[in-house]
Amino acid sequence: MLDITDNLTKFFALIKYSTRKILFKKRIIIAFLILLTVISVLGYAGSQQTDKLTTGSDLLGLLIVWFFMPAICMIYGCSVIRDEIEDKSITHVITAPINRILAYSSYYVSLIICLSLINLIIFSLGFISFFGQKGIDSEAISIYTTFLGLVILGVFIYSALFLLTSVIFKRPIYFGLFFVFIWEGFIGTIPGNIQKISFNFYLRSIGSKQLEYITINGATNVITSLAIIFGSILILIILGSIFFKTKEFS
Amino acid sequence: MNDIKIKTVNLSKWYSKIIGLNSFQLDISSGITGLVGPNGSGKSTFFKLAIGALKPKTGQIIVLGQNPWMNQKLMSDIGFCPDYDSLSDETTGKEFLELVGGLHGLKGINLKNRIDETSEIVGMKEDLYRKIGGYSKGMRQRIKIAGSILHNPKLLLLDEPLSGADPNVRKSLINLIKSLKNDLGHDIVVSSHVLYEIERMTSKIALIYKGRAIASGEISDIRNLIDEHPHNIIIEGTKLEELAKKLLEKKYTISVGYQENRKKIKVQVSKPDEFFDNITEIITDLNCEVTQMYSLDDNLEAVFNYLVER
Repeated sequence: MLDITDNLTKFFALIKYSTRKILFKKRIIIAFLILLTVISVLGYAGSQQTDKLTTGSDLLGLLIVWFFMPAICMIYGCSVIRDEIEDKSITHVITAPINRILAYSSYYVSLIICLSLINLIIFSLGFISFFGQKGIDSEAISIYTTFLGLVILGVFIYSALFLLTSVIFKRPIYFGLFFVFIWEGFIGTIPGNIQKISFNFYLRSIGSKQLEYITINGATNVITSLAIIFGSILILIILGSIFFKTKEFS
Repeated sequence: MNDIKIKTVNLSKWYSKIIGLNSFQLDISSGITGLVGPNGSGKSTFFKLAIGALKPKTGQIIVLGQNPWMNQKLMSDIGFCPDYDSLSDETTGKEFLELVGGLHGLKGINLKNRIDETSEIVGMKEDLYRKIGGYSKGMRQRIKIAGSILHNPKLLLLDEPLSGADPNVRKSLINLIKSLKNDLGHDIVVSSHVLYEIERMTSKIALIYKGRAIASGEISDIRNLIDEHPHNIIIEGTKLEELAKKLLEKKYTISVGYQENRKKIKVQVSKPDEFFDNITEIITDLNCEVTQMYSLDDNLEAVFNYLVER
């Protein structure tokens, strides 16, 4: 019992510190710039004569769910542990009596707390910028909840992936750029089976079963998609924990 | 045997082609032990192996009876202050100590009390709420030391704690380190490339050079090692030419050279004990007037130079 309490104290101490560090670093300016872009684009689109539901869902999907959300996850995910390795502040974590697997999990939890919050704010304000002008009815709310669910699910999977890369690679951002813009952004949208090796495909598949405005060829069912996504999250966290546990810090 | 805090057996660590430690053999007992060696000699590698940040390539390191690699529990008993700047500028001293304390399982009033106590010990109580980015070099060193003693460890590893600090800060850090042993009972391993500073903290040292522990023990023991190696003595006075000739006849004399317009001679001897036993007799025989005679090897720096050059 004492061990559990002791480990929880260490776990939450690192979450508290890491969360504060992520949210109050200068990098948060990037999130503000993305927020401004989203509000501007969706605000302008909302002022035009367009079909509310089709245009609204297309813009929210293209701009946030399929582009900015993975990009933000990449920017933060690739840097959380890597920054601490580079500035050597990781020393205080690796010289503490906290199991490294637990420490890695703390970083992951901090990351998803911060990225969920950032993406929630960006998505919600983007939604209001568009639908606020067109009218928020039950269908608009349905679009909001579905896309928000995909955003949060995306945060979970992309955070797990980029956190792992930040432990493995010295320059994880290069992998991140390739993955977000080429793999997910391009290969993930190619028709045929090849798209099934992207997370984008499974997020779209889940979305397409909830909203008629999200279309995809050969979508898998929700259970399969969720199983693949959560299975991948688990594998990525386990891999990251193993790499972090056995990593040498010179 | 139980007194041994750190033991290494043929410990080696290298990074691609660069050797960090090479068949490193050293036993460190309780008290304050100074690790002395030039930059790049392997001191920091030794510390990183001791805290389990690095895995030995060959050999073994045992810290407080345990292998530190992938042994996070051992860290409860170790406090580490690195030689590099490991602090995040954006956080305050208090936030930093809260993190370190939290990672050691301290919380609530216990954590608050320990932060108060340690910040008092290192003289940082007034500056705890300031951002670390605004700290001076000396303050950063102090807050790192506070972090390393926060959980009251059995063994403190301080890697170059004085580096970059100005003379006043160095002096107060030296006093602080001594008080950590004398008043709080921590066993301490402290490194420096400045022998003078280590000498002020402890008489127990280990000399490290090119990844090897070349000598260890009490300074007096290490001084005995000097006697096995060439020793330089300066003699100032009259009839130096005759004295030089006489000395060159002795087996223990390696060389004699003039210095400062023939006002002094520098004698290099292999067996200083024999030299000092005989020199009075030689001076008397030659009727020389020696105004000054001193060994160049009377300080720790000379000990170090001898041993690293052999």
